[in-house]
Amino acid sequence: MSIEALTRRLFLQGSGTVLGTAMMRAGVPAFIAASQAACSAREDAATYRTLTSDEAREFITVAARILPTTDSPGATEAGAVYFFDTAFSTFFANMAEPARQMLAGFQAGVAARYPGAEFFSDLDADDQDEYLRSVEQTPFFQGARFMTLAGVFGMSMYGGNRENIGWKLVGMDGPPHAWAAPFGYYDAQYMEQQAGGKQDGA
Amino acid sequence: MAPENQTTYALDDEVDFVVIGSGSAGGIIAKELSTSGFSVVVLEQGPFRTAADFTHDSLSVFMFQELQDGGSRNSQQTFRREEGETAQVPQRAPAFYASGVGGSSVHFTGNFWRLRESDFTERSMLGPISGTTFADWPISYEELEPYYTRVDWEIGVSGTPGPDDSFRSRQFPLPPFPIKSSGVLMERGAQKLGWTVQPEPHAILSGPLNGRPGCINCGFCMGFGCEVNAKSSTLAAMIPDAMASGNCEIRAECAVFRIETNEQDRASEVMYYDPDGNERAQKAKAIVLSANGAETPRLLLNSASERHPDGLANSSGFVGRNLMFNSHANVQAVFEHPLNDYKGVQVSRMVHHFYESDPARGFYGGGGIDARPFMAAVPLTFSLMGHRPEGQNWGAEFKKNLEHDFTRTMFLFGSGTSLPMDRNNITIDPTHKDRWGRPSLRITYKDHDDDMALAHFLQDRSAELLDAAGATKAWRAPIHHQSNGAHLLGTCRMGDDPSRSVVDRYHRSHDISNLFICDGSSMVTSGRGQPTMTIMALAFRAAEHIAAAANNNEV
Repeated sequence: MSIEALTRRLFLQGSGTVLGTAMMRAGVPAFIAASQAACSAREDAATYRTLTSDEAREFITVAARILPTTDSPGATEAGAVYFFDTAFSTFFANMAEPARQMLAGFQAGVAARYPGAEFFSDLDADDQDEYLRSVEQTPFFQGARFMTLAGVFGMSMYGGNRENIGWKLVGMDGPPHAWAAPFGYYDAQYMEQQAGGKQDGA
Repeated sequence: MAPENQTTYALDDEVDFVVIGSGSAGGIIAKELSTSGFSVVVLEQGPFRTAADFTHDSLSVFMFQELQDGGSRNSQQTFRREEGETAQVPQRAPAFYASGVGGSSVHFTGNFWRLRESDFTERSMLGPISGTTFADWPISYEELEPYYTRVDWEIGVSGTPGPDDSFRSRQFPLPPFPIKSSGVLMERGAQKLGWTVQPEPHAILSGPLNGRPGCINCGFCMGFGCEVNAKSSTLAAMIPDAMASGNCEIRAECAVFRIETNEQDRASEVMYYDPDGNERAQKAKAIVLSANGAETPRLLLNSASERHPDGLANSSGFVGRNLMFNSHANVQAVFEHPLNDYKGVQVSRMVHHFYESDPARGFYGGGGIDARPFMAAVPLTFSLMGHRPEGQNWGAEFKKNLEHDFTRTMFLFGSGTSLPMDRNNITIDPTHKDRWGRPSLRITYKDHDDDMALAHFLQDRSAELLDAAGATKAWRAPIHHQSNGAHLLGTCRMGDDPSRSVVDRYHRSHDISNLFICDGSSMVTSGRGQPTMTIMALAFRAAEHIAAAANNNEV
């Protein structure tokens, strides 16, 4: 399904909800509105397996700068934080404590650089980006980037990529993953020319 | 899981053959020998997965290396660039292979090029190359051709002959896959440059064959197992027949650590750790070693004894030497319209215009270029490694480029020759051990200058082609000396001279008469970069000769 078709579908879904309707009035594109509606509903009910709500808010904020919500959904709508939570309570359980320590160091840097701020999520978006650029080479940022991308583009069974938002974002159809040619613009054009050529020659 | 009703043999039953490894060579040899009536025990260090176990989970496959036994952390393979350095355990295992029944034929991409006649005689044609052990093969293309044809029909290969391919005795059993957008663009560019393009042959079924279904074009080929058995792994194509013969027991999760010889200097039993970690020994009349071009020499070196202080079957000193990874280079490009190259098999078209070595280029070597999604096959690898090289690798602009580029990306992927050299080798690491406690394999590898020149040459040609095809943007992956390889070739080469090779032309060890060795290690030269077709053809040929020898009491 193309992004355009997806947007149409989500527009119809989103417009049926109170929040969806409100966001449409506010001029938020339907795709985002629908994603955010579902995401908010989920967050309301969410209890994290290992993250505290403060930690979750920080990871949500960092992930949202790595893959921000623009005119299309980002890490927030994909539920990347649930990937962090799943990972730190299962296959990356041994990294949960080091990650907490790195997060604390990351936050200490925020407090030192921006008077009055305690959390990364206290900063406005410009300051968040500026601060992230200053820590780009740190293990914390590198790890957060990997976790965010895995949370958006990995399988939804790990908690992120909710409703395959990440795959739809880049234009990947499915699942299910099973197709027949033509697959893309150039082979479709090629097949049309071949068919046309055969007809001409017939 | 392995069927519970398979034939079983007792450890002190002297079976006709123990086959070590169940991959591209071992799977074929086990099937051929068992269906010929010989009793066979296959020892495979990885698990027995079936099609139902394979997923599209890119995180597990690429990041956690599910099919490679978890990668470096378990294998503890070490790497160093040159002798004299202390080898380290890198993040990615330097010998990249799949662990499980079917071996790397389970996770391979399925590009299936035959060698050409020239590959077997290049040393005679081109002369010696200083610093290398460049040699002719002891067999010719003509001798191997019937077995290539058996691979086509019994393993299952889809394709159509290319204009410069060497002769074939029979057509492909299945037509090639439909052309993809990347193939159309490759044709467009190559046509402008006057280069020949041909459909890619695949060890993936384009339609039903031998009771197996055709491909559903899911696109999860490279690195993944096939959930419909359309990929022609030995797991799908050979193992079922081996087990149905009633003469073959597959023992999965059994890690061999030693081949024992008796006082007559014959291989007598194979020592291994069973799934519970207990030491076991299986007696056999003869042994076939097909553990891959890294694990085969490692096992021989780890089987050193008083009689064989330098390792088993190693009187030549060639065990582990002459490792070849094949040269590689790629160029990534973005086009105006969506290609959706993530759908379908990786490659639909390739250029073999530069296959032959040409002295006018100033270096030895040749290769092929294919068009494929590569990193753009799945969104996770694309986001982590396939993004544009410039700018920030996070944020709104990064995201915008991911959204735009994923469906519009293709790679041109060059693969070519590596020269065999003594300095590139498999040895035993003096300190590290794998998760079973076996001394780790150590790889020492530095590409020959000609291999590096070839990689740059293939990359230059790829860039020209993409420009001619109308790419809106293209960039080159930096070319470095290789630190890991999925093609593990040359480390127990075949030859007529026992002082310059490990096995004879029929894969029998020159030193141990009832030990046969067949896998990528047997190859004398590297071919042009898609070796599995040749490994499988060698396996069919080896099995035929081994069975004939056994029937004549000559093992």
